[in-house]
Amino acid sequence: MTTPAIQTHDLTKAYGANRGIHHVNLTVNQGEIFGFLGPNGAGKSTTMRTLLGFMRPTSGSATIFGKDIVTGSVEIRRDVGNLPGEFALEDRMTGRELVKLYADLRGVTDLSHAEEIADRIKADLDRPTRRLSRGNKQKIGIVTALFHQPQLIMLDEPTGGLDPLVQEAFLELLREAKQRGQTVFFSSHVLPEIEQVADRVGIIREGELVAVENPTELTGRTFRHVKLSFAQPVPGEKLKQFLHLDGVDHVDTIDAQHLAFQAHGDMNPVIRLAGEFDLTSIDIERPSLEEMFLRYYNGNTGKEVAA
Amino acid sequence: MTSINTTATTYPGIQSARAPSTMLAFLRFLFSRYARTITFWGLGISAYTLLLIASFPAFEGTSALDVSQYPEGMREAFNLQSLDTIEPYLSSQVFSFLPLVLAFLPVTAFASAIVGAEERGSLDILFGNPLPRPIFVIATWLAVALLMLVMLGIVGLLSYGAAVVMDVDLELAKAMLAPLNLLPITMLFGGIALVLSAFVRQRAIAVGVPVGVMFLMYLLDIIGKISESFEPLRNISAFKAYGDALQDGMPWGGFILLLAIAIGLAALAIPVFQRRDIYT
Repeated sequence: MTTPAIQTHDLTKAYGANRGIHHVNLTVNQGEIFGFLGPNGAGKSTTMRTLLGFMRPTSGSATIFGKDIVTGSVEIRRDVGNLPGEFALEDRMTGRELVKLYADLRGVTDLSHAEEIADRIKADLDRPTRRLSRGNKQKIGIVTALFHQPQLIMLDEPTGGLDPLVQEAFLELLREAKQRGQTVFFSSHVLPEIEQVADRVGIIREGELVAVENPTELTGRTFRHVKLSFAQPVPGEKLKQFLHLDGVDHVDTIDAQHLAFQAHGDMNPVIRLAGEFDLTSIDIERPSLEEMFLRYYNGNTGKEVAA
Repeated sequence: MTSINTTATTYPGIQSARAPSTMLAFLRFLFSRYARTITFWGLGISAYTLLLIASFPAFEGTSALDVSQYPEGMREAFNLQSLDTIEPYLSSQVFSFLPLVLAFLPVTAFASAIVGAEERGSLDILFGNPLPRPIFVIATWLAVALLMLVMLGIVGLLSYGAAVVMDVDLELAKAMLAPLNLLPITMLFGGIALVLSAFVRQRAIAVGVPVGVMFLMYLLDIIGKISESFEPLRNISAFKAYGDALQDGMPWGGFILLLAIAIGLAALAIPVFQRRDIYT
């Protein structure tokens, strides 16, 4: 059996009031892209920073490629590329100088992959980092995390500050890393981003891992906010047809020209019925993460679902 | 679109540097980081010292350098035996108080190295690399100490050169040893900053405490020199060990003692930093 890329046993890091992570049990397999989803302050960064040895666990244990995160931290970081959630770069150095420094620290001499990544995400390696915008600094951070093609890539909210085209190029880099056999563990509070690339999704809330799911199942189960606006007033009896459809509940607004409700599962019956009316607009929106957590994961903690 | 080599099974990251090469790489980075700051310090100290040496012949033999009318306590406190030669002149005008100024260099450098970097948010990305914390501490200490040593050596050479040019009678050995004597005492206060930097969460504390200790020690040394009854207080002041290299000869015993304490503090910073959580 292959050694997991990451395995935690009741990993706990307590600091401050109501902060930290509690009894996190998590397994990330080698070669998979694992999304770590949770709202801000849920414990994503604390988990990643504890795994990388920046913080010592209060209790519990964890291994990366079988090495203990406390005693083997330096060895672990040889095979890990890390992008912190918040970071500052050496402001007098250029991106190229930084990559060279990190390559020297790692004993890496071939920087061709750094140039390739920089080219694809349009990272400017030649300007001092103090002159770069937040998004451009983020790109330099991505290059420094990926350039040495580590076995494990750990990225904390990696797409913050990136424009959509660069985000897409970056997600493509992650897919390619997976094809090469690298493992990717990345956190986000944006569900669609994780859906696009992740094989599995771990959901963390208030420091507790509440579920590990397949992203397709997760999004399939997720409800949508549906808002319909009608060109002409519609009699109440006709509007009630929507409310009798399977999966429709939580009516938010109802009047002669507006109807807003929540719907689960298959959207086709809603769309077919809406097509029978003269509509001025139809909006189908995902819930926020916090809404989703309240709906599906409230009170359900510490569960790990096998892949 | 770049093609993907799906058959790749090795990763450059695995063939990583081991401790010695990591140390050298990090030292190179630190030398470039600190070189500019230390050069500016060296320029300032050199300019001030050269100005005093250059102006000495103009004051030599005049009443401006007559300290016999100064209160005895003041002469004792600042070791003002006579200013009619360059040694006591430089000692009183430069080297008696220069530790109070120059110590800010290692103190601020070491305070910035850990807690300052943590406040800036630059530690996370650096320690994403396989950089052991002991190597981080040792290399940081070595970089500052070696660059200061070079800077102080240059100050000594320039001082000697200025003395030769201005026909001032200053021995090469004294010109070199007086600046060198600054290293252990300033690195001692820097060492306090390094330990605190590895422990506390605010850079201001890592700067403020060693600076406070330094001025307190200086005060104790002065009080102990003025009053015989307070003389034992000098034993807890680093300035007693610092002595007066120009007038009394190089205090090698004090030099070694202060250097040993400075190195001990740097060594203490290693386990302190290893137990520390790095926050963002």
